[in-house]
Amino acid sequence: MRNLLKAEIRRMLATRLWSGLLLAAALIGGGLIGAMALVGPENFDPPMPGLDTGTGLRALLGILGYTAFVPAAAGALVVTSEYRHRTAAVTFLFAPRRGRVLAAKLATYGLVGLLYGLVLAGTAAAALFAVAAARGIPLGLPTATVLALFARIGLAMVVYLLIGAGVGALLRNQVTALCVVIGYLYVGEPLLMMIPGVNALYPVLPGGATAALTDFTYLADAMSQQLGNPAVQLLPPAAGALLLSCYAGAAALVAVVLPLRRDIT
Amino acid sequence: MTVKITNLTKRYGRVTAVHDLSFAVAPGVITGFLGPNGAGKTTAMRVLTGLVSPTSGTATIDGRSYRELPHPSRTVGAVFENSAFHPGHTARDHLRVYAAMGGHPDSRVTELLGLLGLGDAAGRRTREFSTGMRQRLSLATALLGDPSVLVLDEPSNGLDPEGMRWLREFLRGLAGEGRTVLVSSHVLSEIQQLVDDVVVIRQGELVAAGPLSRLAGPPAVLVSSPDADRLAAVLRASRPGRDAPRVDAAGDGRLRVQGLDAPGIADLAAAHRLRVHELAGEHTSLEQLYLRLTTERAATT
Repeated sequence: MRNLLKAEIRRMLATRLWSGLLLAAALIGGGLIGAMALVGPENFDPPMPGLDTGTGLRALLGILGYTAFVPAAAGALVVTSEYRHRTAAVTFLFAPRRGRVLAAKLATYGLVGLLYGLVLAGTAAAALFAVAAARGIPLGLPTATVLALFARIGLAMVVYLLIGAGVGALLRNQVTALCVVIGYLYVGEPLLMMIPGVNALYPVLPGGATAALTDFTYLADAMSQQLGNPAVQLLPPAAGALLLSCYAGAAALVAVVLPLRRDIT
Repeated sequence: MTVKITNLTKRYGRVTAVHDLSFAVAPGVITGFLGPNGAGKTTAMRVLTGLVSPTSGTATIDGRSYRELPHPSRTVGAVFENSAFHPGHTARDHLRVYAAMGGHPDSRVTELLGLLGLGDAAGRRTREFSTGMRQRLSLATALLGDPSVLVLDEPSNGLDPEGMRWLREFLRGLAGEGRTVLVSSHVLSEIQQLVDDVVVIRQGELVAAGPLSRLAGPPAVLVSSPDADRLAAVLRASRPGRDAPRVDAAGDGRLRVQGLDAPGIADLAAAHRLRVHELAGEHTSLEQLYLRLTTERAATT
């Protein structure tokens, strides 16, 4: 197992993907949050509650949760690249116990996801506190609460990377996997939220679970209001976290078990 | 180590790729695995290396199936695709990943890069590699664990004559060290000079197995001469008795000669002042070999 982990970490470090991913984390985290805090949600169109309110602060952080398709896409990309470049056969020649190979991959991706989440949340927190201090705005939530929200967002990123990896292992085709992952998270899930009846499912979908985890109800509420639907009731944060871990676990299980007997042709 | 395929059958849905195939591959020689495209060569080799599960039957290396091998990459080195690399990895990156996976030291990576003439290309990304370099890197990957058995699927595909000669010498060296080498091909002429033994399959079934020299028959020379009749008599008379050269008319002033080589024929023709317009070694094509083997088999059964 140690050999497999070493191999997967080497494989990851040898490509430019991982440095690009961490750069994206810093841009999305520090860049996006910094820019939004600088402009101020009260100046958005339409205006949102300011940083000095709890709602405004949660809404701003919640937007970070919607960038989870980035690590998910990265997870799908790395898993499918073995099939796309036909190295899967070489890998399984060196390690015929395929379950272990996939477990080592997931452990590696979990590590990368953790780094991604750390950079994303870390740079976002730094940007938020710096901008708020510079603009002289007192934040609408206690510092400890803000930091806890950032930590939850960071953890959600790990889960999404693993979900992406699971989808990739299931579909194997790189383009299909990317379309499914990005399409679902970026377009599909928000669309589901708008359909009456189906939107009752939203709280148990990954996006709803993430929103629950990060206490982000702004978008769901706004959308319900706009469409005149009854407000969507999200799960409590702890339940959201549990549900999200279940999704990650299921994705990981799919990724490990499915290739076991499949013919590599 | 001996490789053994026993009563192997593999079906994909309703298509039978390999049917009740049995043969053995001996160490110390190069064995050619011959058959037209779609004959089931790749499937059989993939079953042997655990990539594909057989429908029935077994494939073993030294008595064990691939998945039971304690150190797979130290036992078998296999190449199925000549460019199974991440395009963004350098040659060294690629080898380092698999060296780690197989538990082989990094010094082995440097050693193989040198052995396969990739020392200068070690730091280049594989997307820039030529066909010949890709093949060498694939071979280097297979050799990381210094395996006793080498399995190569269509290694001559896309190689230029120089690459082919290099491969021949390289594999000859490996077999000379007592390794078991199995090489598949759908073009007999490409590996004719490479292999000692052959296993011939068609439509997933065994046609013949044994030393190529026995299966292909003695080599023949084609002679074209305006004095064909007199030349035939001279050649037959050159070595009377039981192992007299066999001379057959091939029509149009051409003769097919077995039992004499081209220089011998040319010397005899010159000594008798007979004209020779063309003199060429005959290459048995895979199709001809099939024809011979299948008709022979039909005659004996």
